Amino acid sequence: MNNLRILVVLPFYGGSLPIGRYVTSALKEDGHLVEVFEAPEFYSAYDSLKSLKVTTDRLEYLQNSFLNVVSQSVLAKVETFEPDLVLCMAQAPLNHQALKRLKRDGVTTAMWFVEDYRLFTYWKAFAPFYDVFAVIQKGQIFDELNAVGQPNALYLPLAAQPDFHKPVDLTPVEQRKFGSDVSFMGAGYPNRRIAFRELVNHDFKIWGTEWEGDHVLEPLIQLKGARISSEDCVKIFNATKINLNLHSSIQADELVTYGDFVNPRTFELAACGAFQLVDKRSLLPEAFAENELATFSSMDELIEKIGYFTSNPEECVGIAQRSRDRVLKDHTYKIRMRTLIEFTNERIDGWPKQRASSTVFSDDFPPELEQDIRQLIGELGLPEDVSFEDLVWAVRQQQGKLSDLDTAILFLDEWQKLYKIRM
Amino acid sequence: MKNYLIIQLARFGDLIQTKRLLATLCARDDATVHLCVDKSLQQLARLVYPDVVIHPVTAHGTGLSNSEAMRSMLVDNRKAFDKLKSIDFETIYNLNFSGLNFRLAALFDPETVEGYGWNNGQEMIGLWPSMAMRWSSFRRIAINLVDFWAGYCPDMISPESVNPEAKAKGSGIGVVLAGRESRRSLPADILAKATATLGSSSKTDRIVLLGGKSEAAAGQAVIKELPKNLQEKTDNLAGKTDWTQLVEIVDSLDMLLTPDTGTMHLAAHLGTPVKAFFLSSAWCFETGPYGKGHTVYQAVTDCLPCLETKPCDYDTKCLGGFADPLFQRFLVTGKADHAPQGLIGFNSAFDRLGQIYSPFAGTDNDTDQRTKFREFIRQFHADDGGEISDLERLFAERIYRERDWMTKSQPVGTFG
Repeated sequence: MNNLRILVVLPFYGGSLPIGRYVTSALKEDGHLVEVFEAPEFYSAYDSLKSLKVTTDRLEYLQNSFLNVVSQSVLAKVETFEPDLVLCMAQAPLNHQALKRLKRDGVTTAMWFVEDYRLFTYWKAFAPFYDVFAVIQKGQIFDELNAVGQPNALYLPLAAQPDFHKPVDLTPVEQRKFGSDVSFMGAGYPNRRIAFRELVNHDFKIWGTEWEGDHVLEPLIQLKGARISSEDCVKIFNATKINLNLHSSIQADELVTYGDFVNPRTFELAACGAFQLVDKRSLLPEAFAENELATFSSMDELIEKIGYFTSNPEECVGIAQRSRDRVLKDHTYKIRMRTLIEFTNERIDGWPKQRASSTVFSDDFPPELEQDIRQLIGELGLPEDVSFEDLVWAVRQQQGKLSDLDTAILFLDEWQKLYKIRM
Repeated sequence: MKNYLIIQLARFGDLIQTKRLLATLCARDDATVHLCVDKSLQQLARLVYPDVVIHPVTAHGTGLSNSEAMRSMLVDNRKAFDKLKSIDFETIYNLNFSGLNFRLAALFDPETVEGYGWNNGQEMIGLWPSMAMRWSSFRRIAINLVDFWAGYCPDMISPESVNPEAKAKGSGIGVVLAGRESRRSLPADILAKATATLGSSSKTDRIVLLGGKSEAAAGQAVIKELPKNLQEKTDNLAGKTDWTQLVEIVDSLDMLLTPDTGTMHLAAHLGTPVKAFFLSSAWCFETGPYGKGHTVYQAVTDCLPCLETKPCDYDTKCLGGFADPLFQRFLVTGKADHAPQGLIGFNSAFDRLGQIYSPFAGTDNDTDQRTKFREFIRQFHADDGGEISDLERLFAERIYRERDWMTKSQPVGTFG
């Protein structure tokens, strides 16, 4: 099922933000017409409220008012774009009032909650308002969702975006900057801080934020703990001989937690063709076979395997290739989105709604224009059989001054609306 | 050389009412003025604005088959758009609140577009038209559309220099049968009486009935109602004139009797005296004849001006003044004592902002408020201070909004 209109609502910030962008790329790649609500553009204004030095009740009122404006902006976009699906990433700024309005108007909504449900418990207040609620964990969460009134829960693990997470050729300068025998890219959660103290004797680089205040690890922290862009993450993954992937935990007493969900880094490293040592997770075996990933279940095993794979780099290459093949086959955002769409189709009666659409190349179409229009359709990344309505929207999505042909298409569409004519 | 573009995609009357803006731009040093109009009006546009470069596009929906429309939109319009895009315009004045105008603006840098713009897929409305939408709630004190459009340019030419002062041209009386909205026009019998009265009193040799093809039958009905001697002098030219002929005829007349129509504005443009009948949604302070020497008979029931789109719940009571037998005598004498109830007789005149109408019969209860409002608006453009009225605060609160104050300060700014 393609050619859907999907509005992706990004969060203000956070881990689900880059995933929302990968989802957007994947949906477009699969032929859907995608519009994005760019919540991050609103965040600095929201954040500035915290500098007011006002009473807390007044601050809360202002924050809620601001969030209401943002939610109303999403609704306005829905009204104009008329999507088949509003796909919200975790922490998307849609308040209850807006979600109720969408439900009342028959607009189908889905939430991809790419967080640990045990830590981010706010989902309980919002899950019932979505038509579909996708999660990255299994088991109890499904019972809990059912209990709060959400029957359409879907297990939808994370993934990689192959046109972004891929093997790259690095310059010698980049290799020197981003490369090391061992590295870790991620935030300084308590279990990682303790665990990595045991690795300081290696050529070990730590990338990412929230590592402050640890004198043992301090010499290993790169770029003074600055946030690393997604582009640089790919370079680090490619430049490192052994990428450590230790899932986060707020517990410091158990370093390898043997938790359930598989983090995005697992899929991204694999898609890059990079070698990783990842801690065992209960949902990992259904994503990768044993010979597709190198895993560890304790610090002793991690230290042992670092030593082993450092001495056997050819084995790393084989495992990395197999993990990459597996990701490309089963764990891309395109595949995840297809799963989500199929699930929505199964669970939501009459979805997607039939919409009136007309063909671009009707009998009245001037033949001498066909080549130019086909070229435009190609440039816009639209399917060859795109409807006239979707072509119009894709033209409208373009930035800056439009061409004579773009404007003629928009003008024709408006003229047809004005005079109630469809060709 | 500086190129300016005006996009005027509305109808006949609107094209003529763009004149003060066009003339203002033409008066600028080293200016070349371009005008984008619907294809059906290109001949007229060339006749009335010979110094302006005309860019016709297909914007109106009449008389096109599907395939013709598709070809016009995608082939012909595309060529026209390509031509427009190739010109380096200093400013584009996009005048109509229409989806077509918003989209046409997509060709240009949004910073250069005033009026109705397009910014990365978002429709944008400029400050000046936004202000006009705000004052549309008090239409009785509105400003003339000619002056409103000229208001895009603070250097607008004086109102007196827009159209020639109206003078009789010697070739009889023209009668416009109907405007686009029939409720705004006089029924055939009333129109015939007015025509007969003025025809007889002026001892005219010739009466021409003007209008489109659809008004030919109305023309016959008017002729039937005329006295025999006038019937012989009357030609029903409804549907028989092209633009050139219409301009020639209107330019030859002693006077034109008309409701609020494009032909009325054409007469004003040519300096032919107009006697205009305004009722229903037609309000002379919005769209009355521009220039000196015109007369307006304005209905003033308490429900006016109404909305064309809304059905009348009052049995078109605004026709009452025109149907009153006293109206015929009033047409001839122009004496205040002879004015029927529900009508005001106005002479066209000017103030510093532009076109006004001074009552010569009947009472205009809105004069004081209107004068103050017009001064308020004039001060928006002028930097010479001016009168401060007791309504200053009321107007300021109604016309200026928070976002004007907080986000943009220049009249050229746009909001979306």
